[in-house]
Amino acid sequence: MRSCLTGTFLFERGKRMDKIQQVQEEALQAINGASNLQDLEQLRITYLGKKGSVQALMQEMKSLPKEEKPAFGQKVNVLKQLVTDAFDQKQVELSSGAIHAQLEAEKIDITLSGRKKEIGTIHPLYLVQQELEDLFLGMGYKIAEGPEVELDYYNFELANIPHDHPARDMQDTFYIDPNTLLRTHTTAMQMRELEKAKGQLPIKLICPGKVYRRDDDDATHSHQFMQCEGLVVGEKITLADLKGTLTYMANAMFGEGRTVRFRPSYFPFTEPSVEVDVSCPFCNGKGCSVCKGSGWIEILGAGMVHPHVLEMNGFDPEKCSGFAFGVGLERVAMLKYGIDDIRNFYTNDMRFLKMFNRFD
Amino acid sequence: MKLSYKWLSEYVDLAGITPQELADKMTTAGLEVEGIEPMAEGTNLVIGEVLECIDHPDSDHLHVTQTKIGPNAEDVVQIVCGAPNCRAGLKVVVAKNGAELPGGKILAKPVRGQESNGMICSLAELGVDKKWLSEKQLAGIEELAEDAPVGESDVLGYLGLDDTILDVSLTPNRADCSAMWNMAKEVGAILNREVHWPDYEGKANVGEKTNFKVSLATPNCSAFYGKVVNHVKVGPSPKWMANYLHASGINSINNVVDISNFVMLETGQPLHYYDYAKLPHHEITVVDDREMKMVALDGEEFQIEKGDLLITTNQEATGIAGIMGGEESMIDENTQGIFIEAAKFDAVAVRKTSLRLNLLTEAAQRFTKGVEPLAMQKAMDRSVQLLTEYADASGFEETIIEGDASYTPVVVKETLSHCNELLGTQFTMEQVQQVLTNLDFKPEVNGDEITCHIPSYRTDIARNADIDEEIIRLIGFDELDSTLPLMSATVGQLSPIQTLRRTTKEVLTGFGLHEIVTYTLVGEDYIKDAYQPSGEAIALAMPMSEARKYVRTSLMNSVLECVQYNEAHQNTDNHFFELSSVYAKDIEDPRLALVLDGKLISDPLHKEEEPGDYYALKGIVSAYLNKLGYGNNRIQFKENETDVEHFHPYRSAEVWCDKTLLGVIGNLHPTYAKKFDLKDVVYGELRLLPLMEGKTSKTRYSAIERYPSVSRDIAFVVEKNVKAKEILDAVRKAGKKILRSSEIFDVYEGEHVKEGYKSIALRLIYQASDHTLKEEEITEAHQAVLEQLQKQIHAELRA
Repeated sequence: MRSCLTGTFLFERGKRMDKIQQVQEEALQAINGASNLQDLEQLRITYLGKKGSVQALMQEMKSLPKEEKPAFGQKVNVLKQLVTDAFDQKQVELSSGAIHAQLEAEKIDITLSGRKKEIGTIHPLYLVQQELEDLFLGMGYKIAEGPEVELDYYNFELANIPHDHPARDMQDTFYIDPNTLLRTHTTAMQMRELEKAKGQLPIKLICPGKVYRRDDDDATHSHQFMQCEGLVVGEKITLADLKGTLTYMANAMFGEGRTVRFRPSYFPFTEPSVEVDVSCPFCNGKGCSVCKGSGWIEILGAGMVHPHVLEMNGFDPEKCSGFAFGVGLERVAMLKYGIDDIRNFYTNDMRFLKMFNRFD
Repeated sequence: MKLSYKWLSEYVDLAGITPQELADKMTTAGLEVEGIEPMAEGTNLVIGEVLECIDHPDSDHLHVTQTKIGPNAEDVVQIVCGAPNCRAGLKVVVAKNGAELPGGKILAKPVRGQESNGMICSLAELGVDKKWLSEKQLAGIEELAEDAPVGESDVLGYLGLDDTILDVSLTPNRADCSAMWNMAKEVGAILNREVHWPDYEGKANVGEKTNFKVSLATPNCSAFYGKVVNHVKVGPSPKWMANYLHASGINSINNVVDISNFVMLETGQPLHYYDYAKLPHHEITVVDDREMKMVALDGEEFQIEKGDLLITTNQEATGIAGIMGGEESMIDENTQGIFIEAAKFDAVAVRKTSLRLNLLTEAAQRFTKGVEPLAMQKAMDRSVQLLTEYADASGFEETIIEGDASYTPVVVKETLSHCNELLGTQFTMEQVQQVLTNLDFKPEVNGDEITCHIPSYRTDIARNADIDEEIIRLIGFDELDSTLPLMSATVGQLSPIQTLRRTTKEVLTGFGLHEIVTYTLVGEDYIKDAYQPSGEAIALAMPMSEARKYVRTSLMNSVLECVQYNEAHQNTDNHFFELSSVYAKDIEDPRLALVLDGKLISDPLHKEEEPGDYYALKGIVSAYLNKLGYGNNRIQFKENETDVEHFHPYRSAEVWCDKTLLGVIGNLHPTYAKKFDLKDVVYGELRLLPLMEGKTSKTRYSAIERYPSVSRDIAFVVEKNVKAKEILDAVRKAGKKILRSSEIFDVYEGEHVKEGYKSIALRLIYQASDHTLKEEEITEAHQAVLEQLQKQIHAELRA
């Protein structure tokens, strides 16, 4: 009986174990065969749900003999794990397919133009001015301001150009009355600053601005144009300091490797006075159409502040010295950007303005 | 100035220095040579003789010549020549086969079937400037003298055309170099070579007592040298003198006139020689108080005014002093004797007269630029010397010197150490002394100190810095180091207005506006029709044109002119800004102009469009002012009561910041816009000073809200003329502390809204900083707003 009983028992046990095996095979096959997330969800309910097959096996365990429970339970747990893993795996598989389908449905033509965005431009003359300003701010210069409607006193007298000075021929002036004029050079601002300093050193400034001369407007002349001048006054400032400063400036404005060359010249407010040539940035000094084959471009006027100018402004030329330089912004912009007609700056054609959309 | 290389070489040895090398050295030393031109050019030239000249069988104007070009019988070539004056027996200039002429290379080739071996030349074909050639010379080949040596190959030398002209641009301080002698000294110093002036000194110290009387009735003639020369023989000038005058750009007339010009070129002193017979009263007076008409040397009549310096004799004008002589006393072939004038006329007086009469003669230009103090004496000496030699002058009377001709030599001291300190150099005393010696400054060295005795013609040298300039320019700038100033540190930073301008550009370019720069000078129409003028316009004393007569008092017209230009050139969507000061008597008024013309964004592809309308500009201006530190609570857009002539009265607003009117923005008045062929343009012009002076808000942190906000929308209908500001004011008035913001997000008129009314949609945001809002709190606050809207603006709530 024992054996018979045992036999029956063994038979029953085998049947239960087969059932687990059967559920496992059936579930895994169904899950792996699921073709969409809805079907998969249905299968989850069928096998793993509260009333699902796996749960039913768990229920069955309650009625088992005590000694069989552990083995059976372990088997069912393994089954549950296997089915859950298969389900998770399938779910990931199916979901990624769905996202993929969704993404594909959302495909756009990335080569169509973006939404239009317009950025305005800074006028090329001010691009150049701002570049100079930033360059000299970095060296501790301040930027002076002064009126365009100026007194003869600052524009000429203090700049060592007395009334009957032949240099007044060099720059024909728009007079308003005998004492007032439109400034002919930004030197007028230098003189105001020198006077304002009341003999206090050091002075280190640049003064950009509009200036006016009686010129007929054509491709290379304009009755209104822009200059930027610089002025340094201190103890033992030398002509070599001027050369070093302008070399630094030329490199910043026209690229590394520029050298500067001084040629003697004449300005009433400087002595010695020099014309400053910069080695041609377009041909590197070899000679091209821009520098007319010379390898040099004339770009600045400069010199040591005339001792009489220092005296008139209350400085003792035996105790201090200074240098000054001036550059035409149109000239720089025309060279830098290859502009061939100065009138472009004042016509403000939109097509022209849009060419200068950044600092370069 | 035109500088003859050949003439210069009479004073300085130029051996081994080509004109190009000379030009380079002069330019490096500050005398800029702008051009180098040979007087004439041509290789392979020879003097020939036309032996036979027959008509070309196949031409109505060509000749076939047999021309001898050498001493031997076989040196005869056949040349076809087209000149009408070509004939047998003529001595001519022949360009042989292979000759290089300015017009090209001469090659042997048949001309209409007749062999031609070279060319018989005119001077123009040798590159001689046509202004020196007579009509006869221009019409045909050059006819040489009968004794011209056939076979001579130095043709240019024979013609006196073997010279090169340097075009020298002199700076105003070096007018002395327009005198040949002084230029020679300068070149000598540049080349480190000796200079020899002619032996002229004291040559005028001859002559009998004179009864000629010179009077100076004006201080503008401070000195006058005069001399009577009773006998001269007028005739042609020596060839070399005529050539040098040509080279300098002056026509040869006769020996006497040429000498006056030649001496002027040598010494820099303008001279006038009068026909002595035309001064029968033996008297000359310089005056400047006449008003009259007079005929000058060139036959033209001029109106003389007070202040013009005149030379008179017996009360009659006989010359415009320092500018041009009178026709009356002109030297001609009948002149027997002359009176020499070398005077010092005031530069300003001469300049004024010559400009007014448009008589920019050589003499006038020299007086204007300044003549050195000893030039009168030099010119008198040299005149006497040359007149004696080349015009058989005799019968001299003593030199008359009127006025103050005294001269005090200039002495300037400099130290080597100061020189090196100013220049940043390490020059030695030897180097410096050499330069100063070459310049004829006769340096005396005493330790560190150098005393210079400045030659009279170097009127530009007055103090030590002038000496330093001479030293560096002649030693050369190549030696100069590049250093940066050593000095106490300074701070480089932008001033408030500079920062403001930078912010302005940053913001406005970000919004798609382009910066423009327009002219300051405008015409009367722009002044009369100015928007918010800065004040009474400043007018130029002597404008160049009516269109550039005034300093503008507002930017508006200039900016709109720019938009007009762009529209006329098919540029659309022209959005600009300009930062510029406008002016009036004693006023500088920095302003910002903004203009929108067209759409800010136009993007049919993405169905996006942003019109450049009033609201666009208002948005830009608001954002801009916010960026400058002026919050919306300080900015107000009020009814435009300022300017409804330039602006659309109902589509423009005054912009106020605190209690200051900044300007007006809005659509242009259609009538005004029409002046510039514009429509639908939006413009604004703001004054910047109040924005600079105003107190801007500080950038501060405040804690980020921790509790959620709740938004509630309201839809209602109000009368059409109720303004947004009134609605929002009503909301704010009722809003409790928890009302954080209120915004109109829709305005609608038309279907479903009764006539004369509009529908408004409002969004309110409620939030508290210390707790999450409860429904009751919100309802209470919201209810208060609804009631206020009904009460204050008669809002009818929509479902």
